[in-house]
Amino acid sequence: MRALILGCGRIGGGLAQRLAVAGHAVTIVDSDPAALAGLPAGFSGRTVVGDVLDRRVLVAAAIEQSDGLAAVTVRDDINLVAARLARLVFHVPRVIARVYSPRAAEIYRRLGIQTVTTTTWGINRIAELLSYAELEPVASLGSDVDVVNADVPALLVGRPVSALTRPGEIHVAAISRGGKTFLPHLGTILEADDLLHLVVLASAADHLAALLRA
Amino acid sequence: MHILVVGGGQVGSYLAGLLSTDGHRVTVLEAREAAVQLLHRTAPDALVIVGDGTDPRALEDAGVRTADVVAAVTKSDATNLVITCLARFVFGVGRAVARVNDPHHTWMFSPTMGVDVALNQADVMAHLIAQAVE
Repeated sequence: MRALILGCGRIGGGLAQRLAVAGHAVTIVDSDPAALAGLPAGFSGRTVVGDVLDRRVLVAAAIEQSDGLAAVTVRDDINLVAARLARLVFHVPRVIARVYSPRAAEIYRRLGIQTVTTTTWGINRIAELLSYAELEPVASLGSDVDVVNADVPALLVGRPVSALTRPGEIHVAAISRGGKTFLPHLGTILEADDLLHLVVLASAADHLAALLRA
Repeated sequence: MHILVVGGGQVGSYLAGLLSTDGHRVTVLEAREAAVQLLHRTAPDALVIVGDGTDPRALEDAGVRTADVVAAVTKSDATNLVITCLARFVFGVGRAVARVNDPHHTWMFSPTMGVDVALNQADVMAHLIAQAVE
């Protein structure tokens, strides 16, 4: 893919390097030469110094031949304008704009601009990590199946093991309760303070996290 | 006419004063609290709302849905274009006028970006001066 990145801050620079390492032809534009100088020494992409809203700069950065564009400068308004121009004037097939303000993502989509709100993503991810640290990996059986321990979530107390079971994906292998560990059946009722020993298909880990969150 | 002026600096406040003197109903949306005083002096009849013109909710608070014309006259070209796009394509305003700050940005001020009329200060001044010299 020929990727064009507008803005060489932490996201732009990191994205450029990642795509270049993956073998894509990357061009990155920033008005500040010092920002571009901060790219890793082995960066294989092309750098262009200039205003990302100057048509000559965009054409010099080969916007017309680009397959994908990421507008990731520090300013929401510049990213939105650059993204819409990339879609409608230069017909770039894939265009993403990073915005800080999460409030208007839906409205910007109506303007043909797909946005990513890094703030919202960061908040959700941190909240997830803080809330679900109780999911404790115990062992991996091969690369596809994990054994994890989890405290029974309050909302599943009083429900049967089947409420947490997904055939072929998530099984409650054992339960530790009152100093003893036993093998449950699908009808075993979960009690407060149970420690669950689960066998999970690695690809279903998110699913399990969602079930435990419920 | 109901005219929404976005950006209440030197240009916006002068424009708002001029338009309200002509009998138009004028609302000014300005992000900086500090500029509000200047607005009250220069355009005493205009309604002033504090908010960011690139935020659709602020535009709604300023009455964009009932505006006949939106004038985007902030000092940022990108901001002005987000305002014209939102006004024309999201809120269905009939006409949008925008200020161009950097002549290299003139190419973007097109109907694709919701701009009906673009006013480039540098260009206007340069032509007037060239006329005066000749």
